[in-house]
Amino acid sequence: MGDMPTPDRTLDAKGLLCPMPIVKLAKAMKELEASQVILLEATDPGSVPDVTAWSKNTGNPLLAHETDGKVMRFWIQKS
Amino acid sequence: MSRLLYVHTGGVGTPERSATPIYLATTAAAMDVEVGIYFTVNGPTLLKKGVAESLIVPKYDGHGAPLRRFIDQALDMGVKFYVCQPSLDLHGLTQEDLIDGVQMIGGAAFNDMALEADQVICF
Repeated sequence: MGDMPTPDRTLDAKGLLCPMPIVKLAKAMKELEASQVILLEATDPGSVPDVTAWSKNTGNPLLAHETDGKVMRFWIQKS
Repeated sequence: MSRLLYVHTGGVGTPERSATPIYLATTAAAMDVEVGIYFTVNGPTLLKKGVAESLIVPKYDGHGAPLRRFIDQALDMGVKFYVCQPSLDLHGLTQEDLIDGVQMIGGAAFNDMALEADQVICF
């Protein structure tokens, strides 16, 4: 994780199922300032395509993501 | 902003069909999509006051969640709920029988929304 962006906020969505990780991400994003980065941690198996699609549609860039066992981490910047 | 319109025809007789359009619409709202659900045919029975609290969306292990949870998430995310009078008449319902947050429209308004939407998705 050394070269991953430093998040301004971490959102723990582990254990939550679709659509809650995306709903919580959308709400958390509204509280961020432009260019701030949120780290989302999720275990829903559909999270990689879901967060990618969310990022594409909302215009908030997905800077990086990694899979660590069952946990997926996403670094997303507020546009 | 993109627009999606869901059409929900499932009612209290098919609980397994009740939640999916609602949580897909919630997800769309989270994607900054302007989204509405038009409850027609049996759909309005889900919106009768007191029904969704006890209607359990089934799960294989018997630990389903009440539909009300999905409805509240959707309304909280700004999903618009629509019904029309004929589908209320079908079930002997009036607008006063329905939960708060449901808007009455007619067929012309529905067709207009469908023409204005980027996609219409029917359940």
